[in-house]
Amino acid sequence: MNERFSGFGAWILYAITIAMMIFIMAPLLLVMAVSVSDSYFVTFPPQGFTLKWYAKVLQDRDFIDAMRLSILLALGTTVGSLLFGVPAAFALVRGNFRGVAAIKGFLLSPLIFPALVTGLALLQVLSKLGSQDARLNLLIGHIVVTSPYVIRTVVTSLQLVDENLEDAARTLGAGRLRTFWRVTLPQIASGVAAGGLFAFMVSFDNYPVTMWLANSEYSPVPLILMRQLVNVFDPSVPAMSTIIILMAMVGVLLLEKLVGLRRALAA
Amino acid sequence: MTAGYLAIPMLVFLSYFFFYPALGLLFSSIQTQNSQGIIGRPFTLAHYARLIDVDLYARVFWNTLRISVITSVLATVLAYPVALVMVKSRPIVTRIITLIVIAPLIVSVVVRGYGWQLILTNGPKGMLNWLLMTLHIVDAPVSILYTEKAVIIGSLHVFFPMMVLPLASALGKIDPNLEDAARMLGAPWWKVFLRVTLPLSMPGFVAGFTLVFSLTAGSFVIPAILGGASAIMLGNLIEQQIFVVYDWPFGAAIAVVLVGVVFAVNGFSMWLLEGRRLRRPA
Repeated sequence: MNERFSGFGAWILYAITIAMMIFIMAPLLLVMAVSVSDSYFVTFPPQGFTLKWYAKVLQDRDFIDAMRLSILLALGTTVGSLLFGVPAAFALVRGNFRGVAAIKGFLLSPLIFPALVTGLALLQVLSKLGSQDARLNLLIGHIVVTSPYVIRTVVTSLQLVDENLEDAARTLGAGRLRTFWRVTLPQIASGVAAGGLFAFMVSFDNYPVTMWLANSEYSPVPLILMRQLVNVFDPSVPAMSTIIILMAMVGVLLLEKLVGLRRALAA
Repeated sequence: MTAGYLAIPMLVFLSYFFFYPALGLLFSSIQTQNSQGIIGRPFTLAHYARLIDVDLYARVFWNTLRISVITSVLATVLAYPVALVMVKSRPIVTRIITLIVIAPLIVSVVVRGYGWQLILTNGPKGMLNWLLMTLHIVDAPVSILYTEKAVIIGSLHVFFPMMVLPLASALGKIDPNLEDAARMLGAPWWKVFLRVTLPLSMPGFVAGFTLVFSLTAGSFVIPAILGGASAIMLGNLIEQQIFVVYDWPFGAAIAVVLVGVVFAVNGFSMWLLEGRRLRRPA
């Protein structure tokens, strides 16, 4: 134990911290336990052991289709938000024009705007335009909410780049593009990767924008899950949820490997 | 400088698919919808008046504010100890706490709401009731699910990391010598916290509180899963107006009010942070 904490105060701190760790993990662990329990209706404590719900999920066409849609959508969103976000971050850090702060505020504003309202507003515009393809609409909506994350992480890592190295490359005769590709990009690679991974995960889990732009033909995973949860309870919901939890854990570990969690999430 | 032009695609994209739609929504909230569902003139503020005048809607508004404030206050009180332990422990402990705090952030809100539904299930089959009754803390099952309490518990779970992370980052910047000095001069632990740590961590607190409040106020999934009919929030009301009642102008007006509340809180916190009205850590 650290000597900074001692006596009664330390006990309170550790007790609350441990209680909060349990509070955070409890619902996720319970979902995982229930997913292998052998009863149609959920009871506590969970009874029996079975993998039949997983077998059922893997044959569930709706779930498989939703999974495919969600993964493709998240990939498209990642590519889109990187294509828009990385150059924008470059402009914010290296651009030397008036109103940089205002433009940065504007580009990051979807972060403080309630996502539910972003989606509703977009639905109104897209339906006026007659844009019927839910997949395209979802892609646009997801890029709007994920690109600020990319801009933020890339701006942070660009600020750490040593500009002298770029000057050196230019002096030695490398062109702008070559300098970016060979000198700048390797230095910001972890920031770009973190931004991209963020975009993927935010898109995959997004509900408040998705709920407006999806339709009955194209519904991503969170919507399918919500429908099965609220309307007709399907006993394979815990298994679907566990699959999502495990995918998220892989994402977290990747993020931790790539950049370190605290740095990735620092505002 | 040419680098500035690189922001243009993003600016155009966001102007067209974010800024312009937001203005469009604001515009429809002051218009009238005819019986064919077409939105147009005359301009009116009737939709805003309805939100205040109709008791049911006004109650949803106050519910939303109350749930958001309670969640943010609880998050603050519980996040301080966690952030303190996170910052001041050995690296391995810090790492484990960070992982546990952050990991759920990436799990879909629907899944987390479902987990709480399982825990809080009313009747003896719910985990909490089973636990309470097995330990003989209560004799009859308690009913928390489908009340405001369940929504607060769920929101606290979902947004807790948003409080811990800014707090931990502010606490990490405090010079430990200041606390040591206070302690050496004879201050007890609670006094060191109240007079040194707390004031110096204010920027983190303000940032975290604003985030948790804004996100809770704009939630939809958690009240839909855990609140049932008795704890509806503004987000659920908007969804009802658009998808069930098809009343676009009223739905838009509620959305504008929600954005107004969130902007007011963000504006106030920026005023606090940028005006250097708070002492910053040295």
